Amino acid sequence: MLKILIPTLMLLPTTWLSSPKWLWTTTTAQSLMIASLSLTWLKRSAEPGWLTLNSYLAIDPLSTPLLVLTCWLLPLMIMASQNHISPEPINRQRMYISLLISLQVFLIMAFGATEIILFYVMFEATLIPTLAIITRWGNQAERLNAGTYFLFYTLVGSLPLLIALLILQKDVGTLSMLLIQYSPPTLLPSWTNKIWWAACLLAFLVKMPLYGIHLWLPKAHVEAPIAGSMVLAAVLLKLGGYGMMRMVILLDPLTKELAYPFIILALWGAIMTGSTCLRQTDLKALIAYSSVSHMGLVVGGILIQTPWGFTGAIILMIAHGLVSSALFCLANTVYERTNTRTLLITRGMQTLLPLTATWWFIASLANLALPPFPNLTGEMAIMASLFYWSEWTLILTGLAALITIIYTMYMFMTTQWGPVPPSMNNIEPPHSREHLLISLHLIPILLLILKPELVWGWYY
Amino acid sequence: MNPYVLMILISSLGIGTTLTFMSSHWLLAWMGLEINTLAIIPLMAQQHHPRAVEATTKYFLTQATAAAMILFASTTNAWMTGEWNIQQLSHSPSTTLVTFALALKIGLAPMHFWMPEVMQGLDLTTGLIMATWQKLAPFAIIYQISSTTNPTLLTTLGILSTLVGGWGGLNQTQLRKILAYSSIAHMGWMIIILQFMPKLTLLNLMIYIIMTSAMFMMFKYNNATKINYLTLTWSKSPVLATLTMPMLLSLGGLPPLTGFMPKWLILQELTKQNLAITASIMALATLLSLFFYLRLCYAMTLTLSPNTTNTSSTWRIKSPQMTMPLATISTLTIMLLPITPTIFSLIM
Repeated sequence: MLKILIPTLMLLPTTWLSSPKWLWTTTTAQSLMIASLSLTWLKRSAEPGWLTLNSYLAIDPLSTPLLVLTCWLLPLMIMASQNHISPEPINRQRMYISLLISLQVFLIMAFGATEIILFYVMFEATLIPTLAIITRWGNQAERLNAGTYFLFYTLVGSLPLLIALLILQKDVGTLSMLLIQYSPPTLLPSWTNKIWWAACLLAFLVKMPLYGIHLWLPKAHVEAPIAGSMVLAAVLLKLGGYGMMRMVILLDPLTKELAYPFIILALWGAIMTGSTCLRQTDLKALIAYSSVSHMGLVVGGILIQTPWGFTGAIILMIAHGLVSSALFCLANTVYERTNTRTLLITRGMQTLLPLTATWWFIASLANLALPPFPNLTGEMAIMASLFYWSEWTLILTGLAALITIIYTMYMFMTTQWGPVPPSMNNIEPPHSREHLLISLHLIPILLLILKPELVWGWYY
Repeated sequence: MNPYVLMILISSLGIGTTLTFMSSHWLLAWMGLEINTLAIIPLMAQQHHPRAVEATTKYFLTQATAAAMILFASTTNAWMTGEWNIQQLSHSPSTTLVTFALALKIGLAPMHFWMPEVMQGLDLTTGLIMATWQKLAPFAIIYQISSTTNPTLLTTLGILSTLVGGWGGLNQTQLRKILAYSSIAHMGWMIIILQFMPKLTLLNLMIYIIMTSAMFMMFKYNNATKINYLTLTWSKSPVLATLTMPMLLSLGGLPPLTGFMPKWLILQELTKQNLAITASIMALATLLSLFFYLRLCYAMTLTLSPNTTNTSSTWRIKSPQMTMPLATISTLTIMLLPITPTIFSLIM
C-alpha cells in the first residue's frame, strides 16, 4: 500500500518544484506510472480474503478494483484539465493539481482502510478538496450553491454515521474490518437498532446517491470543472457503494426487513431519473442523472445482499466509473469548443469531429449496457438477483434498462447526428491529448470484457 | 497607551488569571477574576471610540454581575457548610448559582447576549484576548466544580449554546460577531462533556484557543472586520487566503483537520455514556456553524472578487506585521488531527 501512497505523496513536490514548462508532462507521467504500478494489486487479489499489507491499510478483492480505478483516474484527470487550467497563473495550476493529488491520497486511504473509523475520516476528508475543486474552479456563479448542497447533503448523512460507528465501537469493542466480521453485533429489531441501522447506511445512500437525496449531485456535476465531474462520477460515488457493502454485512438480520423501502426507492429512482434524462437539455446534467439511475441499480444490488447482487454492484460501479468519466470528458471536449452544454445547440458533431464521434458511440453503447460490455454483466447480475428475490422487480429493472437505452441513444443522436448549427462553423480540431484521454478510459472497459473476474469482488 | 501602563495592565491580566488557577479558596479565586476583569477594562477602552466604551461598559456590567453572583454563592456555601474550598461546593443552590455565574462569564447561552456586542466593539487584538485568555480563569473554576454541578443544567447549557451559536452567526456579516457566535458554540461543546470527562473540556479549550487565535490573527493581518473586506485577501496574501479555507473548516470541525479531534472525542464519550441522541443533536448543530464558516470560505478563498484592486501587487509589499506566529498557529489549526493520541495522552 505504501508503495503506491508514498509515490502519490511525492507527486506534491513534483508539482511544486518542477519547472512551469514541464509541469503537466511530469505530473501526468508520474501519476501514470503510479497507476501502472497499482495494476499489480489486481494480480494479488486473485487470492481470496484480506491481503494485509500493513496493520491499518489492506486490500481485499472488493477494494482492489476501486483502488486501481482511483489510481487510474488521476493521470486522466490531469490530462483532461490541461486545456482549461493552463491559461491560469502557474501557482494556481500547481494548486489545482495538488488538490487532485490530495483527493487521490484520501481516496486510497479510504478504500484501503481496515478500521471503519479511518474509512470514515477519509470519506469525509475527500469533501474538502472536492469542495474546493467545485467552488473554486467551477465556471458559473451557481457553483457556490452547488458547493453548499454538496457539503451539507453529505454531512447531514454522515454525522449520524459517525455516531452510529461510535456506538458500534462501544458495543463490539472494535471497528477493525478484519475483526468485526467474526463478532458482528447482535441486533434485535428494537427501535433503537432500527434507527442505528438507518444511520449506518444513510451517509452512503446520500453519497451514492439514492433517489430523493440525490439533488446535490446534478448541481455539483453541472458546476464542477471537468476533473471534478470525472472524479465525482468515477470514484466519489463509489465510496458510497463501497461503504454500503462494508456496513451491510454487519447489519445482517435487520436488513432483510428494513431494506424494502430503500430497494423500492432505488429502483423507482432508476426509472424516475432515467425519465428525467429523457427531457434533459443540459448535456452534463443528463450524464449526471444517468449516474443516479445506474447507482439506483447498484443500491438495489447491494441491499438484496446476495453474492450475485454484490458482484453485480461492484462490476457496475467499476464499469460505470470508467464510462461516465469518459462521457464527461467527451461532453467537455464539446464544451471547450462551443462553450455551451445545451443539447440543442451542439448538434451534428459527427461531421465535424468524426473520430470523437466513434468515442461517443463506444461510450454510449457501454453506457446503455450493450453486450459484451461489463456494464451489461453488472446490470444482468443485479437484475437476476432482484428477480430471484421477487419477480415483480423485473418490471422496474426492465423499464429502467429500457429507459437507459432510450436516453443514451437520445444523447448520442442529438449530439452527433442532425444538421450542423451555423454557430459551429469554425471549431477547433480535436487534440491527440483528447483522443488519448478517451482511449485510456475505453481501453480498460474493453479489456475487462476479456477478463471480467478482475472486478468480480468477493465471489470470484 | 503608555508602555508602563500597558505593562502593568498586561501583567495584572496575567496575575488575575494565575491567581484563579492557583487558588483553592473561593475568595481568592473571586479576587483573581476581579483583577482580571479590572485589568482588561482599560485595554478595551483604550480606543476612545463610542463603540469601544459601550462594549467596555457592557463587559464590566456582566462580569461584575457574574463575580457578585460567585461571591454570593460561595459565601452562602461557606455559611451553610462551613467550607471555602472550591472543590467542596456541596450546597446545591450555590452550585447552580455558581454554574450560572460562570456561564455568564464565558458567555454560554442563554447568558450569551453580551458576547457578540462586546466583541463587536473591540479591536482584533483585544478581541483575541477576550476570546482566549479571558476564558481561562472561569474554566479553571468550572473544571474544579465539575463533579458537583447539576448534570441536567450542564446538558441544557451545552446544547442550547451550540444551537444558539450556530443560529446566531447565520445572519452576521461582521467578522467579530461571527467569531463571538463561534465562541458560544464551542463553549457549548466544552460544557456538555464537563460532567463526563472534564479533561476533554480542557482539550477542547486548548484546541479552540489555537483555532480562534489563528482566525483573529488572520483577520488582524488583513485588517478585516466585515465579510466583504475578505474578498480582497488574495491580493494581499495569496497563501494566507488559501490556508484560510482549511482553517475555517477546521473551526467547523471537518475531518481530517484539527477541529475534528475534540468533536470526535466528545462524541465518543457521549455515546459511551449512552447519550447517542445528545451526541446526534450536538453533531448536527455544528452544521449550523459550518454554514457561516463556509460562507467566509466562499468570500475569501473560493471566489475572486470581480472588481480589481488599484495596485495589483499588494502581496509584493512586505507586511510590517509578524507572520511567524500566524504561520505556526495556522499550521497547528490544520494539521493536528494525526497526532491525536499524543495530545490525548498529554491531557490525560
